Amino acid sequence: MNMAVSTQYIPADSILHRLDARAKFFGFLVLVAAVILSDTLWGYALTFAALALLIRLSGLPVAAAVQTVRRMSVFFVVIFIMNVLFFDSEGAIWSWWIFSVSLDGIQTGANVVLRLMLILVLSNLLILTTPPMELMSGIEALLSPLRVLHLPVETGAMILSVAVQFIPTLIEETDTIKKAQIARGARLESRKLRERATAMLPLLVPVFLSAFKRADELSAAMEARGYRDAKNRTRKKNLPMRSADWLALASCAAVCAAEIFI
Amino acid sequence: MQEMSTVKKSIFCAICIALCYVLPMVFHAIGAGSVFLPMHIPVFICALVCGWQYGLLCGIAGPALSSVLTGMPPVAVLPGMMVELCVYGLAAGLVMKLVHTKHTYADLYISLIIGIVCGRVVAGAVNALIFARGTYSLAIWASSYLLTSWPGTVILLVFVPSIVFALMKAHIIPERYPSDEEEEEA
Repeated sequence: MNMAVSTQYIPADSILHRLDARAKFFGFLVLVAAVILSDTLWGYALTFAALALLIRLSGLPVAAAVQTVRRMSVFFVVIFIMNVLFFDSEGAIWSWWIFSVSLDGIQTGANVVLRLMLILVLSNLLILTTPPMELMSGIEALLSPLRVLHLPVETGAMILSVAVQFIPTLIEETDTIKKAQIARGARLESRKLRERATAMLPLLVPVFLSAFKRADELSAAMEARGYRDAKNRTRKKNLPMRSADWLALASCAAVCAAEIFI
Repeated sequence: MQEMSTVKKSIFCAICIALCYVLPMVFHAIGAGSVFLPMHIPVFICALVCGWQYGLLCGIAGPALSSVLTGMPPVAVLPGMMVELCVYGLAAGLVMKLVHTKHTYADLYISLIIGIVCGRVVAGAVNALIFARGTYSLAIWASSYLLTSWPGTVILLVFVPSIVFALMKAHIIPERYPSDEEEEEA
């Protein structure tokens, strides 16, 4: 299959892999907050140190953890140049027409790019060390306070878990349909925008029809087995958080707190 | 019109959320990702087929799931995109519920166009007031939501009603205005 999922769970037995998904998800959000708060050299040094430790604890090669950053390097260069050239500042070092380069612009550009890179590596680490279904249970735990507002959190979590389970099947099916349509003469890779857009119709309609047909079959099977709502369902596994999970969360909170004071 | 069960709507919504992840991959593989707005198609279809609640959920969960699993859209762009897509789902679903012209295509187009307009206006307002306060202007809004994305808008207007109609004709979802014969069959 040539449409490989760009970032996927890599099974292993590292400390990070063994942590509870809920702890990893909450920890990820706390560390994203820490990255957003960091704006001094010491602040970035602390975030880099925390990230290096996480990569070490994950047991993954550094190349795997930073693959998304490498893929988006052009995007980062563009973001940096835009910030440098268009930042509105009084102390410009060089200016011409609508462009002006200033130290503030360079600093803002570097801040934006660094923060984006750090957040990307963090999200990469979360995805690489957590199976998708466990990640969904983490999101469900995050959404659980919404039960107070009588929102159907269980139904939302069920929809998300079904969506994640369907992804590999849909990728494979879409790839098969794409190849079949190319074999029939669809010009999906044409350089002309109009030809590519026209070629989309024989691709999209069968993709949606087959996907909805599968969904129809699944819902009929669920209803035939007596499934009515997600609210009254019980879980196969509902483990409490262990001390290691709490320790990981506390460490993330400590990094975030340190960023506030640095 | 025959009403779909909650389970069926939930599973259809799940499929649309999964397609929010899969379709951009297909489009990016052929170099048409940013122009053809592939993530918008499943959100509109979900809203038109399942209703505004499911459209809203698809608009929030679709880009979030894609961002969590692949890093695209990047976290910096994600909130603005989520607002845009959830307004698409909400507005298109609500209008589809309220408008009954006795012509399926007319209902679909009215809902779709109102959804597109609402989504883009709200996304622009939110960007100007919250996400890009002080740096956002009408010119940036017009260039990003009207000029750059016109091929994607055309794709939406052509594909979304056709796909919903095809789903009705394939009897996967109930017809909006079934003929007497079809009602008897049902």
